[in-house]
Amino acid sequence: MERRSFLKGFGVAAACAVALPHVASAADEKKVVGPNEMKFETAVAAITGGKALVASSKVKMEAPEIAENGAVVPVKVTVESPMTQKEYVKAIHVLASKNGNVRCANIYLTPANGEAFFGTRVKLGGTQDVVAIAEMSDGSFLTAKQNVKVTIGGCG
Amino acid sequence: MDLSRRDFFQIAAALGLGLPAAASAASSTKRADEVTLKDIYGFNARGNVTLLHICDMHAHIKPLYWREPSTLISAPNLTGTPGFLCGESFLNYYGMKGKTLDAYFDTYMNFDALASKFGKMGGISHMKTLINHIKKERGADNVLLLDSGDTWQGTGVALKTQGEAIVKAQNYLGVDVMVGHWEFTYGKERVKQLIEMLNAKFISQNIIGDDSFADDFEELIFEPYTVMERGGAKIGIIGQSFPFTSTANPKEFTQGWSFGLRLDTLQQYVDKLRKEEKVDCVVVLSHDGFSVDQEVARQVKGIDFILSGHTHDPSPRPTVINGTVIVIAGSHGKYVGRLDIDIQNHKVKGYEYKLIPVASNLIPADPEGEKLVAELYSPFDKEFGEILGMTKNTLYKRDTFHSTFDELINDSIISAMDSDISFTPGYRWGTTVLGGDPITMDNVYEMTGITYPNVYTFELGGQQIRHLLEDIADNVFNANPLYQQGGDMSRLGNVTYDIKIGAAGGKRISNLMVGGKALDDNKTYKVSSWGGNLQNAGRNLRDQLTRPVYDVTAEYIRRQKTVNISGNSNVRIMDYNCGCPKKGSKGC
Repeated sequence: MERRSFLKGFGVAAACAVALPHVASAADEKKVVGPNEMKFETAVAAITGGKALVASSKVKMEAPEIAENGAVVPVKVTVESPMTQKEYVKAIHVLASKNGNVRCANIYLTPANGEAFFGTRVKLGGTQDVVAIAEMSDGSFLTAKQNVKVTIGGCG
Repeated sequence: MDLSRRDFFQIAAALGLGLPAAASAASSTKRADEVTLKDIYGFNARGNVTLLHICDMHAHIKPLYWREPSTLISAPNLTGTPGFLCGESFLNYYGMKGKTLDAYFDTYMNFDALASKFGKMGGISHMKTLINHIKKERGADNVLLLDSGDTWQGTGVALKTQGEAIVKAQNYLGVDVMVGHWEFTYGKERVKQLIEMLNAKFISQNIIGDDSFADDFEELIFEPYTVMERGGAKIGIIGQSFPFTSTANPKEFTQGWSFGLRLDTLQQYVDKLRKEEKVDCVVVLSHDGFSVDQEVARQVKGIDFILSGHTHDPSPRPTVINGTVIVIAGSHGKYVGRLDIDIQNHKVKGYEYKLIPVASNLIPADPEGEKLVAELYSPFDKEFGEILGMTKNTLYKRDTFHSTFDELINDSIISAMDSDISFTPGYRWGTTVLGGDPITMDNVYEMTGITYPNVYTFELGGQQIRHLLEDIADNVFNANPLYQQGGDMSRLGNVTYDIKIGAAGGKRISNLMVGGKALDDNKTYKVSSWGGNLQNAGRNLRDQLTRPVYDVTAEYIRRQKTVNISGNSNVRIMDYNCGCPKKGSKGC
């Protein structure tokens, strides 16, 4: 399957939903605590079981500097790995550090995937870091992040 | 029109000018009235190829007055660096003298006095004479004319012809390659039609399909680059359109297209041009903005030249970062940048650059251009020529926070809509009307001529207004150029505030007052705004009040007959004590 058709079929459908409304309108509305609210630290601990996250250049994240539309921000994660039985990426997790529910996507992989690549769209309630965590077969957790600015814009 | 030596003598004599012993930088040292055409043309020719560069003409096919900013401040780490220089700090940085022709073109200083002495700037018929002169000197086959965009929008004639008049002007000038930004506000379909009419190539590596159900999903919308042969050398030109078009302008115009910096693919195209296309010189034709392009040069390897645009900076001298030479040619057709490149053995050996001021009193008009401009304007002469009123003081646009023309527009809106607050966008294009001169309808279009001109009136909560202002301030004053969008602060009517530019995001603005009273976070305010997206954040839109901003402004000026704008800024800057600070300083 080509990368493009993969994204076409899968990427958009996997977009995550969050509780916070978009940008400016968020400011004067009372914050609603939803059943899926989860803080960043809690979500990370649930993934790693308390193990340390290691920032790594093996995890490459593509995300825009400034979101064109905070409701659908394209994020792609590639993890450098031979993807063999001996050494592979078990899972890619995408998190939005300041959303009401920070969890965006959990993608589980096997060596049969051949390549550890995942693309999706995430909804961002405001300017924040988008974080990728790669769960490796040796039990370690690698991570990368990028700050994405969500703005009403209009400066011209 | 080609100028013979005899023509030149005649023109010089007609203008009452002495003949110079020319030096190429004479326009930056001689007094304005001593400069001649020979000084303007003077250039230490070099190498085999000449790139002529224009940017941000904003559809000004006729000469105009354009006053540069009297305040141009950014985050402390950027203040006083190229892209954030004005007035005295500009003159100091570039080693120029005041009251010279270049100082008149490049700064706000003594603007009114020099304007009456020196006249208007730009205009295609004057640009064309200059371009013809250079093509004759260098050989037309050795010259390329490259346009960094923001060309199709900005005047009444552009708006009324949906960009067509300006495409004709570009074809007349002989533009070879262009990129875009405001071009896209005519909408995708119209952009495609105009590109059909355009003799130039329209290129962009950073616009891709965004509609996952369309065939062009994640595919390029335009050719990413073009390779052209000039002076026996292969020049690779990569296009970089404005990366934040879909955020800065309404999304509906470009629905299905995704913009972004895309530095990873930019690097790939640079490498491809070198390795596969075997070019001798890599040029990025850009609408990123001057400070963003300095960051691009830090992050992308192997670019020889970036011809920048968007932020309207005149840059008399190139800025060199990691071996990449960055130039930018002001705005409104005021300048043509001339870059001579010496290419030997498939490598750039050297270059020579000059930002040439298009002084319309010194560079004679090409009659063919005069004819074209008259033809393009003739259907609209009656409407555009209407004198709406007079102005007591000079009306200008450029300033980080406040300008006299924007104050006039905000006054017009508040008067018509009876709103508590008016927002006018911090665009960097417009016009300048000298004190004592009439304001025409053409001038109003020059300030407001956009394809989404409506003034919207709606409600915003006090806290929401505070957050919106902080959000806008964070786009303008972000310490990281990649998170800036290259505009100035929105101009606010009936509001005053203090700002600490170096403060953290969300904590810059204080002492926010509406109509002299402190902003109440819990109160609802009636807000009018145009040219942005604010209405999307508001409630209870008053549909029956919605009208184009140019009509609202024109009506107000007609009623006032003579407008008298004070020029006192409604914004107090807390961490700088002047508008044009030097690098590493709070003052000038």
